Amino acid sequence: MLAQQLLNGVVVGSVYGLFALGFTLLFGVNHIMNMAHGAVFMWGAFAGLFAATMLDLPFIAALAIGALAGGLLSVLLDWVAFRPLRKRKAPEFSAIVSSIGANLILLSLAQQMTATRVMRFPFDTFPIRIYEVFGLRVQLLQLVIIGIVILMVVGLVWYLQRTSAGRQIRTVAYSEGTSRLLGINPFSVNFQVFFLSGALAGVAGVLIGLVFNSVHFMMGEPLLLRAFVVIILGGLGSIPGALVAGLLIGIVQVLTVSYLSAGMADVVVFSLLFLVLLARPTGLFGSVHGGAARVARQ
Amino acid sequence: MSFLAGYEPLFELALLNMVLAFSQYIPLRAGVFSLGSAAFAAVGAYAAAILATRYGVPPVVCVVVAVVAGGIFGALAAVPLARLRGVFQALATLALVQIVLSTALNWTALTDGALGINSIPKAVHLTEAVLAVVIVGYFLHVIGLSAIGRGFDIIREDETVAVSLGYSVRKHHMIAFVLSGAIAGLGGAMHAFSSYSITPNEFGFHMVVMLLAMVVLGGRVSVFGPIVGAIILTGLPELLRGFQDYRSVVQGALLMASITFLPNGVVDTTLGWLRRRALTRGQAGTDATEVTT
Repeated sequence: MLAQQLLNGVVVGSVYGLFALGFTLLFGVNHIMNMAHGAVFMWGAFAGLFAATMLDLPFIAALAIGALAGGLLSVLLDWVAFRPLRKRKAPEFSAIVSSIGANLILLSLAQQMTATRVMRFPFDTFPIRIYEVFGLRVQLLQLVIIGIVILMVVGLVWYLQRTSAGRQIRTVAYSEGTSRLLGINPFSVNFQVFFLSGALAGVAGVLIGLVFNSVHFMMGEPLLLRAFVVIILGGLGSIPGALVAGLLIGIVQVLTVSYLSAGMADVVVFSLLFLVLLARPTGLFGSVHGGAARVARQ
Repeated sequence: MSFLAGYEPLFELALLNMVLAFSQYIPLRAGVFSLGSAAFAAVGAYAAAILATRYGVPPVVCVVVAVVAGGIFGALAAVPLARLRGVFQALATLALVQIVLSTALNWTALTDGALGINSIPKAVHLTEAVLAVVIVGYFLHVIGLSAIGRGFDIIREDETVAVSLGYSVRKHHMIAFVLSGAIAGLGGAMHAFSSYSITPNEFGFHMVVMLLAMVVLGGRVSVFGPIVGAIILTGLPELLRGFQDYRSVVQGALLMASITFLPNGVVDTTLGWLRRRALTRGQAGTDATEVTT
């Protein structure tokens, strides 16, 4: 029983990690708290859903379309909501307010489009196969999800650490002024960062939509709230932190739901956030540089 | 007058929103990124509603208790929150809202869970609402002119300068949280006494966004900022009745446009413009001071 719940926790937690990864990437590079990240996730899920229902595309294609839609939406968000503020060198708080507005618009449009219905992936999008391993019931979908998450994380780390474009992104994250002196085009870096962040959210959206077999306009909000906990726990801007903390939150949540009560899950998870902020504001993997002690402008 | 009477509930709502917007305004003025007013309002509303419906306590006493409860809750929350800055503070206060919301949903013995508390006596009418806005507005205006208000302004503009001038950032953040909690407690209690029933979900993310929008749109330095913001955002849905479905879209667009094009809000931008105009016209001495106060 415990092992089964742990497995479920790892699956959900790895998707949380994927979602939080995009969120933390934006913060690490651009110091933006994108409150519309949950909406990008939700629209990614819808794009995947439409690919599967209307175009009758297979699972992998739906996943790719979800990623593409999330990435493009995220880039659009940058152009409309964040770039004007960046030009003005507005304080961090402005980006939070602006993206809350964008979130409201995106949610409301999705609500209009679906008439507040809960939608489902067609039955045959993903074959239901269940294996028995050491007495554990493992679904094929769960294995595939863990595989996809590992693949995407390895890909992202490779891109950031081993390619020229990744080096540019890391330079901008370190210091935007220095990167300009080195002739790095901030336009292209921002495009990549926002696209990557949105694409990760889009993939997470399709996966979560499949796991719980429901896609609806409010599906991003609980994930965004979890992502706050994940990135604080892992340290803002830290990629390994987001992954480890994502897994941890997934496991804690599944265990609370199964051993305490479903209602307690939120209380436990958000109290965890409070405790971390009190005891170790920089998170498990964070540095003092990006920590809570940093004095914000404004 | 009968024309106006039809709009009485709307005026009442606008006034109660002003009280809640004041609670969001105080931390923003002090440079505190608190989004916790909804949590404080929930504490006040539930304290008042439970006392009134289960123990038959008179509304006035309930409201006083709600203010005290909100203030104490704000003070307790401030102990960890005043140590944080920027986005960390924003996230921690959002988590606070979520914790209060989940508690209200799940502690059914106390709060009746998702059903909320019903048949609260109607004790707040237009008169009480006006009274509350005037008292709180005047109180905040006076605080704004005092040393505390100056401390708030300096900390908001530049924390390093504030520290070098001997202002304790932590102390001022604590004061801002306590005031925010007490005012939200008042606003929550008045909301409970004006709307017959309260449910946990009223105090969720939606309220956070609404209050934030009011203060950002109105302005966070002058006391009139939240007042104007509350009027615009309460009245707007009435004007857009034909576009009922797109109300949130308009609200979101307004939030984005105001932070992008009018980052100081309607009131503070207008006041600044008037002040500059008075200065350039060479009447700096008398007019400018009138405008500032």
